[in-house]
Amino acid sequence: MKRLLLATSLLAASTGFAAAEGELFLYNWGNYTSPDVVKKFEEKYGVKVTITDFDSNDTALAKVEAGASGFDLVVPSAGFVDIYAQKGLIQELDLSKLPNHKNIAPEWMDVEWDKGRKWSIPYQWGSTGVSVNTKDYGGDINTSAIFLDPPAELQGKINVIPEMGDVMALATMYYGGKVCDDSPEVMKKVRDGLLAAKPKWMSMDYSTVEKMGNHDYAATVDWNGSAMRARLKNPDVAYGYPKEGYGLWMDNVVLLKDARNVENAYLFMDFIMEPENAAGLSAFARYANGIAGSDAFMPEDMKTAPEIVTPAEFKDKGKFVTTCTGKALEYQTAIWTELQK
Amino acid sequence: MRDRAFSVTGLPGFATIAVAVFVLLYLPIVTLVVYSFNAGASPSVWEGFSLHWYALAWANDQVKDAAMVSLIVASFAAAISTAVATMAALGTTRQKAFRGQTLIYVMINQPLMVPEIVTAVALLLVFAVVRQWTGYTGLGYLILAHSAFCIPFAYLPIRARLESMDLTLETAAADLYASRWQAFRRVTLPLLAPAIAAGAMLAFVISLDDVVITEFVKAPGQDTLPTYMLGQLRRAMNPDVNAISAMLLAVTLVLLSLFYLMTRKRD
Repeated sequence: MKRLLLATSLLAASTGFAAAEGELFLYNWGNYTSPDVVKKFEEKYGVKVTITDFDSNDTALAKVEAGASGFDLVVPSAGFVDIYAQKGLIQELDLSKLPNHKNIAPEWMDVEWDKGRKWSIPYQWGSTGVSVNTKDYGGDINTSAIFLDPPAELQGKINVIPEMGDVMALATMYYGGKVCDDSPEVMKKVRDGLLAAKPKWMSMDYSTVEKMGNHDYAATVDWNGSAMRARLKNPDVAYGYPKEGYGLWMDNVVLLKDARNVENAYLFMDFIMEPENAAGLSAFARYANGIAGSDAFMPEDMKTAPEIVTPAEFKDKGKFVTTCTGKALEYQTAIWTELQK
Repeated sequence: MRDRAFSVTGLPGFATIAVAVFVLLYLPIVTLVVYSFNAGASPSVWEGFSLHWYALAWANDQVKDAAMVSLIVASFAAAISTAVATMAALGTTRQKAFRGQTLIYVMINQPLMVPEIVTAVALLLVFAVVRQWTGYTGLGYLILAHSAFCIPFAYLPIRARLESMDLTLETAAADLYASRWQAFRRVTLPLLAPAIAAGAMLAFVISLDDVVITEFVKAPGQDTLPTYMLGQLRRAMNPDVNAISAMLLAVTLVLLSLFYLMTRKRD
């Protein structure tokens, strides 16, 4: 028994009870937090940052919801911020502790899931559009017709990523609906359109960076970050922002209600809203960050990247893709199942 | 007589199926290992031989931390589960059959039957409550959880060994006035040792490979190698994940080979 006690107390001592001074626990997507930015923060404030990875919004939510997760900050996607708030898992931000809050770009200030940014701050964001090899097709690529009504040059050489939410959002907007549309007329058009287009596709696969880079595909539904990486391998690849509407996603930092290092959490949030540090996060994760003035500090290859810097004319065409509910989800799942056959 | 006996190898198509099964089992693993030596940044386009990704994985602090957590948890879990499994095996074999014996087998082997995700969610809820009560956030939770699901893996080889062991040796020891403890210490335990070691190694490997339960039970900063790799999936896969997989595979292979050698020796 003595030994057992000794062993447990050793374990306890080595890993620590509760919070020591100068710690911060960040729960973020894997491979998504710039080690350089974290190091800079640690050196500036003498705070030890512990990063733990999650692989899906659902896992993260489940762990936080169970309680006593031990995390201070979490980085959920746009549609999940609301869920955290409704379940009472996060606290309203004290903006007086976030002087850099004013750096949030105007278009990211009044977002639909958090008007005025009182609960969450931007981390990274990106879009879902189409990538086309311009050697195969010289026409307009800023349209979802690339995969829904493909020009003859592209037929049989098109890939579609197997992501229901993203693909359905593009298709619904192309046929005149909105994200999570539940009107039977629109969804009927979406279904017929997708099923008619499918024979003109080559595959439904994720590996767009390699296969666009190698010119195995002539076109694909794509995320902007993947499109940029494909272009760096093959300069003929171009990214299109469908003018009928394209998908957007954003990950946001939220402060947990049971956070034990609240002051350090504020320091960190404020720190990553400093344009230079926001650019540091982007340089690592390769997505845009939603902080005004960070462009000047971005790595050269991202500063001018057409995949990262949305052209002004398409800025208002992006719509957030959230997980749909009710009838809309039912339609989507039914169409998606039929499409997979 | 021999040619009359039923032989599965004589069935038509046996060779084809066998080859297909082996290819399906091993080709992906071989591919992964080969591409971990890829010079390029893509997991599927070969651009020449390089140890670059191994160096990168080796220099990554997060990988090092995760490897450390994996090793600590697996060592503790293997030790605890093997000790418990040995006692359980002795308790279920070295006495007359008793009522409810089957029930006990089933209970010991529960982790083999209950879906992992169910155990994971259950543990998440229970440990959350314990964490709130005690404030303890150390590795203890992971070690406890891993010990629990490793028990059947350690238990099965030990029990198999006990069942095939000759009881007369223990009886002879008792005849020669050995106390029960002496008989166990000098006769049973040495005979059982290879099976215990084998069980421990199997438990170690099982703990090292676990994803689902670990993902749910881990506290801040407790990523193991498998959960670290899972976290990489959202972004483009880099060959450093291949390199880590290859290293994990190597450790597993070495341990399983030892397991094989130990169980084979005296049978």
